[in-house]
Amino acid sequence: MRFPGYTAVEGIDLSVAPGTFLSVVGPSGCGKSTLLNMAAGLMSPSAGRIEIFGQPLEGVNRKAGYMFQQDALLPWKTVLGNILLGPVFAGVAGGKAEAEAREWIRRVGLERFSHHYPHQLSGGMRKRVAMAQTWINDPEIIFMDEPFGALDLHTRMRMEGEILKLWAETKKTVVFVTHDLEEAIALSDEVVVLTAGPASRICGRYPVNLKRPRNPMDIKTEPEFSAVYRSIWRDLRGEVLKSYERE
Amino acid sequence: MVVWQLLLGASLLAAWQAGASAGVLDKFFFSRPSDIALRVWQMCLTGAVWGHLGTTLLEAALSFAIGVALGVACGFALARNRFLAALFDPYLRVANSLPRVVLAPIFLLWFGLGIWSKVALGVTVVFFIVFFNTLQGVREVDPVVVHNARMLGASERQLIRHVLIPSALSWIFSSLHISIGFAIIAVVVGEYLGAAKGIGYMIAQAEGVFDTTGVFAGMAILAGVVLAVGAGVDRLERRLLRWKARDSQAGGESVS
Ligand SMILES: Nc1ncnc2c1ncn2[C@@H]1O[C@H](COP(=O)(O)OP(=O)(O)OP(=O)(O)O)[C@@H](O)[C@H]1O
Ligand SMILES: [Mg+2]
Repeated sequence: MRFPGYTAVEGIDLSVAPGTFLSVVGPSGCGKSTLLNMAAGLMSPSAGRIEIFGQPLEGVNRKAGYMFQQDALLPWKTVLGNILLGPVFAGVAGGKAEAEAREWIRRVGLERFSHHYPHQLSGGMRKRVAMAQTWINDPEIIFMDEPFGALDLHTRMRMEGEILKLWAETKKTVVFVTHDLEEAIALSDEVVVLTAGPASRICGRYPVNLKRPRNPMDIKTEPEFSAVYRSIWRDLRGEVLKSYERE
Repeated sequence: MVVWQLLLGASLLAAWQAGASAGVLDKFFFSRPSDIALRVWQMCLTGAVWGHLGTTLLEAALSFAIGVALGVACGFALARNRFLAALFDPYLRVANSLPRVVLAPIFLLWFGLGIWSKVALGVTVVFFIVFFNTLQGVREVDPVVVHNARMLGASERQLIRHVLIPSALSWIFSSLHISIGFAIIAVVVGEYLGAAKGIGYMIAQAEGVFDTTGVFAGMAILAGVVLAVGAGVDRLERRLLRWKARDSQAGGESVS
């Protein structure tokens, strides 16, 4: 992907098997968000193509949901209104849509806040609304761009657990972007490491064969986890150092 | 704060009153607050003012409504279409930099002495304020929020309804405060320059016979109307922009 005067990512050939949880890690600014935006159809690559289940992607990716790195809730809608958006856009009848939305509000534990506006919620609560908002549409693929980057450690571990639970229940294809290697390993079946920008490429792909179900609160202290972590960190470390030097 | 604001106003009026009574200010040129209040009261009692006020308000309301409708519509159209925006840009700038007063005589010729020449003048003022604010408001929409709505399946129309309009609303509202005031000013100026009715006409009449008290009375009535209408807009704004974080609202679970 070439922006005027800057090539963010180049020569990336990445396929994701349906139903897997794949994480993408890389130094800050290497082009992780750019990659997701292209896969989501929000920008088109300056060269190359995106295929979704074998079909070339044109326009917005209708099979995918996207949890953004930044806060993307509609500030003028309540929790209920935000979660209702997907069904409303799809033209689902009022009563049915609301029942669905209420069910999702319950699943993310925000019953008491359904009539609050986003600015009245904590960061973690807003992320849970975003989660429900994305999942209610039941997309086959879910892109998540550092969804918990702005959260404190404890909230973050709880949210990781919730994501894993949701994923286990629905078995969607997930592409999860993060700069936190521990998070990536704890959650995924495979970790993809990108090189430092500009013209970032794939540095390596690492399968993570830790048993499921996992508990992100405990898994990080297990010896198998440390072994995987060390092998990936060796490569990632070099890229992080390079990205510092280039700044 | 309101107390202090009232106090300031009261002391200014008191100084004026004292100055005029003591002869420091010439009563012929400056009149006196008590005389002005009395005059306003009399005009209300005799009912002389209601016809004029009604005409002015009708003109202002019409020019406001037409100006806002046109401004919002054009603002959206140009914000969503780069080609149109670029095409019209220089013309809009030129048109906006034109002093509206010079248009008043032309509108008098085109639309006659009745209300429509004033409405036209008011529209030219209101339109540009609302238009530029709507344009800005739609352009300033957070792209991530737009992307999010797109990913959730919004069509172009749904995007406008659920994202662009609400997002532009705070800009449009900030322009409403100003444009209401300007709508009233514009129609009053129009009346002043040629009319058979309205507050502006009333002021022009009073001026014709050097009745300063009458002029100030007209101004006082206008000020009252502008304040009242502004308060109405404030309430509407608070209702429609309930979702905005306000400093005074910090409490309970609001952490941000
Ligand atoms: N519209 C744009 N025009 C020019 N350069 C851009 C544009 N968008 C992104 N970039 C550049 O492309 C690079 C990749 O950006 P991107 O947001 O994808 O990085 P990232 O890996 O998501 O970073 P982070 O971890 O900080 O979120 C950055 O160096 C950025 O400066
Ligand atoms: Mg990013």
